[in-house]
Amino acid sequence: MDLTRRNLLKRSSLAAAAIAAPHLWLPTAREAWGATLKKGEPIKVGLLFSLTGQLAVPEEDSTLVMQYAIDEINKNGGIAGHPIQPVIVDAKSDFNVYSEKAKELIIREKVIALFGCYTSASRKAILPVVMSQNSLLYYPTCYEGAECTQNTICTGPLANQHSKDLIPYMVKNFGKKVFFVGSNYVWPKESNKNAKIWLQEAGGELLGEEYIPLGSSEFGPVLGKIRDAKPNFIFSTVVGASDIAFHKQFKQEGFKVDSMPIASLTTGEIETKAMGPEFGAGHFLSAPYFQTLDNPTNQKFVENFLKSKYGKNGSTHYNMEETYLSAYVFKAGLEAAIKKTGNVEEVTSRMIRDVSGGVRVEDAVSPEGLIWIDGDNFNTWLKPKIGQCQADGSFKVVSQAAEHVAPDPYSIYPNAGKCTAAGLVAPDGKNRKNVI
Amino acid sequence: MTTKQNLYHSKPAQWAVYGLFFAAIALIPVFVTDGFLLNQFAVYGIYGMLALSISLCWGFGGILNLGQGIAFGLAAYGMAMTMQMQSQDPDSNPIPPFMLNNSLEHLPWFWQPFWSTGGGILLALVVPTLFYVVFGTLMFRARVSGPFFAIMSLAMLSAFATLILDMQPYTNGANGISPPAPLSLFGTDLDPYGTTAYWIVCGGLVAVTVGAKLLTQSKFGLVVQALRGDPERVRFLGYNVALYETCIYAISGFIAALAGCLWVMLIQYVSPAQLDTTFSIGMVIWAGIGGRLSLLGAILGAFLIQGGQSYLGDQFLATWLLMLGAFFIVVVRFLPKGLAGLLEMILGSIARQPAKHARPEPAGLPAAGE
Amino acid sequence: MTSLDIAPFANALVLGASIASIWLIAAIGLTIIYGTVGVINMAHGEFIMLGAYTSYALQSFLGLPFLLCLPASFAVVALVGLAIERGLIRYLYNRPLDTLLATWGVSLVLMQGVRLIFGSDPKYIAVPEIFQSNVEVGFASLSVFRLVVIGVTALVVAATAWLFYRTRFGMQVRAVMQNKEMAASFGINADRVYMTTFAIGAGLAGLAGSLFGVLAIVLPTMGTAYVVQAFLVVVVGGGTLLGSVAAAGLTGELQSVFAFLTNDTFARFLLYVLIVVFLRFRPRGLFAVAKARR
Repeated sequence: MDLTRRNLLKRSSLAAAAIAAPHLWLPTAREAWGATLKKGEPIKVGLLFSLTGQLAVPEEDSTLVMQYAIDEINKNGGIAGHPIQPVIVDAKSDFNVYSEKAKELIIREKVIALFGCYTSASRKAILPVVMSQNSLLYYPTCYEGAECTQNTICTGPLANQHSKDLIPYMVKNFGKKVFFVGSNYVWPKESNKNAKIWLQEAGGELLGEEYIPLGSSEFGPVLGKIRDAKPNFIFSTVVGASDIAFHKQFKQEGFKVDSMPIASLTTGEIETKAMGPEFGAGHFLSAPYFQTLDNPTNQKFVENFLKSKYGKNGSTHYNMEETYLSAYVFKAGLEAAIKKTGNVEEVTSRMIRDVSGGVRVEDAVSPEGLIWIDGDNFNTWLKPKIGQCQADGSFKVVSQAAEHVAPDPYSIYPNAGKCTAAGLVAPDGKNRKNVI
Repeated sequence: MTTKQNLYHSKPAQWAVYGLFFAAIALIPVFVTDGFLLNQFAVYGIYGMLALSISLCWGFGGILNLGQGIAFGLAAYGMAMTMQMQSQDPDSNPIPPFMLNNSLEHLPWFWQPFWSTGGGILLALVVPTLFYVVFGTLMFRARVSGPFFAIMSLAMLSAFATLILDMQPYTNGANGISPPAPLSLFGTDLDPYGTTAYWIVCGGLVAVTVGAKLLTQSKFGLVVQALRGDPERVRFLGYNVALYETCIYAISGFIAALAGCLWVMLIQYVSPAQLDTTFSIGMVIWAGIGGRLSLLGAILGAFLIQGGQSYLGDQFLATWLLMLGAFFIVVVRFLPKGLAGLLEMILGSIARQPAKHARPEPAGLPAAGE
Repeated sequence: MTSLDIAPFANALVLGASIASIWLIAAIGLTIIYGTVGVINMAHGEFIMLGAYTSYALQSFLGLPFLLCLPASFAVVALVGLAIERGLIRYLYNRPLDTLLATWGVSLVLMQGVRLIFGSDPKYIAVPEIFQSNVEVGFASLSVFRLVVIGVTALVVAATAWLFYRTRFGMQVRAVMQNKEMAASFGINADRVYMTTFAIGAGLAGLAGSLFGVLAIVLPTMGTAYVVQAFLVVVVGGGTLLGSVAAAGLTGELQSVFAFLTNDTFARFLLYVLIVVFLRFRPRGLFAVAKARR
């Protein structure tokens, strides 16, 4: 034992010496900060989605459509003559892996931008590294807002855009009384806060608000409460497997879609396919995009995508389209940055972000029609549309916003301040960067 | 023991191997300058601490704990709260942004202590440990043991995860807490990709490993190991079994709590996913494959599995879990003492060569476990 | 006014019975495996998932009607259980903690295997139109399919009780449970008893799975949603059939009533904490097998 203790002491003094030795204080990875491009070399971007596990259901489609978009851009000459090279990793539906892979892509692979994440939790898991390394994340889906970082660009609808038309439409067509059901996490609660404002404006009445544990498939208690409340329609922000269970049990419990439809922000083409179209038919969805959108750009997109090697899953739903757009927002941003500096090698992630305000994806490219990036908060101006699910599981567009709706991440928190390109400006004039 | 001793059981040899291991992890920053790799190694070190904590209570104490994520997760939350409060200001910016969004006007009382970095870290370590003491006392005094305890720890873990999800105004629910800046200690920011962060984790790992090793060699450690074999007999010998069980359980909880703090220091993020059952059972798998009866084996098991997941996981995208599951089954079936047990067997057979039948100890018999 | 308040509450109680039946049928296979063989089967959730996939596959590839899918799922998953018992579990009978871990490995393999075969996108099981409506009796309202689940659960409990308490096999099982060596000396093949029980337990999980596939969704990960509840039912019940029936009834009703009074998430937390406290006072569950202790 004595011997051991001595060894121990010796070792610890060695370790102390090692710590004290200045040459061992090696420079950190900081010098690698800010990935740069090389003339004539491919532009590396990271695709950080889950290809296995629970989240693979939506995110595998995101990876496929990103690869499709990159192929399409490369076929048409790339960006300023440089092809895009995707670095594809699998986040395994595990937030620890999201964080690890984000570091790998940014610090080691030195990608100029990341495209990734579906859930807010995974986004929050990688934001610390994205922000500290001053990288750039394209977040291609809907989310709750209330975030003002200087390193993200989002191409999906914010909570303040998503249900703006849906609620008045439902009140007008089905009646004033509504019941809110959501999965128990941040996005549904924030969406519901916005929905309450639209509801008040439309003169509706909220009968109840219930949240189901994520992943739960027991809707008995909630449906019991809905039965007692007798609303005219249900507003749903239930996600994933729970959403499918919700629609199935809705029908099994004898609820009728004609007298009490579900107006959802999530139940799209994949969900109706998974639950069986008979459970989805008649319900409503608000989204900026539906596969059935009737315009030449979309028809070409659907046709080309489905016959490409990436179209094996047979549909193009809103989440895929928002991901597809992010590739073109990136292209436009990078082109603007190159134009500004005149030299590819001087472009950094930071610079792309800075010049992306106001970047447009025109009708000829965007399947959902013209969109542009807000110059302050770097979310997307878009037109939400309302679709009704048909007997075959596809959606028929029944209403479309006349004007583009502005994204506003702090619409219901005016006291928090205004999100600008440089940070969140509080009412007292103080500016805070990277508020998450 | 007149015959030549199995080298595996020789204390000086064991300490020598530990020393070698410590030297190896201390040398990593000399060869690795890539911030990503350094950060990744540090994270593996934390997984190693978790595997060690499992080895301590399951391997030595015979208490299979499928809910180690409780200590890890609670401590991680404590640390994340501490780091979050470092970027707040009592006058101009008193509450974290997510609370504003959840309509809180004031900082909740249980967030107040986290203004102080030292106090916050202390709480992050003490609260989970105290919970382990209370939960352990409840369970062990009722003589809940074996598989029942495993299931109850799992249920408790689920309960905590559910609670954190439901307490969204205070915890930000499923989105978790991501402190916007790295931990600041003594006025300097601790770059999670730098060598200092690595040294801290490395130091923590060495300290808990040496501490745990000394503990297992102490009288307390011997009683605990006797418990694993036959708790009834130990009870008849007059020992307060529940007390010993609670102690070893709480110590392992403390180590997991330390790991949770360091983890958030490196990752700058915490969410209910840290209290996910898969993650907690994953810790048991690390210890099981590496060797639950060997502290170092458990640590290396964590390195092996997590390294495998990081580097093989992408090559064999779809089959990785399949291989992991199959590998684990094979280890449990044929090597109940894990890879460390394999080494023990090999060294044992070398030692036994001159005098056969000295210490027959074939693996695969109920020698380990229960 | 009070009658108005009572109706929803009574409805919650009726619904509680339905939740109880779901938890019970999820737990019954686990109960007999734990009660007889002493194995905590972590792969139980994946047996449930296999049952759902069996029904899905039989229905969409062979066009088998739903009601025939139920016994078919039982048979297929029982065979899988048999193979796992013969190939792995029987070597681990005297190492209960190791069986727990080995079956966790099995669950990883089954989950990923199914994902490789069927993909990770969700599937569904179609049922006859008649199951997609509800019945109202006075104040209470329940879907026909929930009644089907209650009915099937009652049948399964009755059949299991009959098997274990009224047949020769059942007597052998109980003999082995009480004293394996003694039973063996009377010529009972304990090995075979274990094997059969394990297969039946797995089969019952499969049967439950094909019902759950209709209630919710068919996914490789669907089993995990039921397995914690199933474990709690077994732990609270103490591992006997009667115990599980009582425990499922109690916990199901409590979950429904708590959910009615608060919300689903908090109800779950409350229930878990109550169970921990309960176990402090009855560590061997409601109806534990009387065993010589101390």
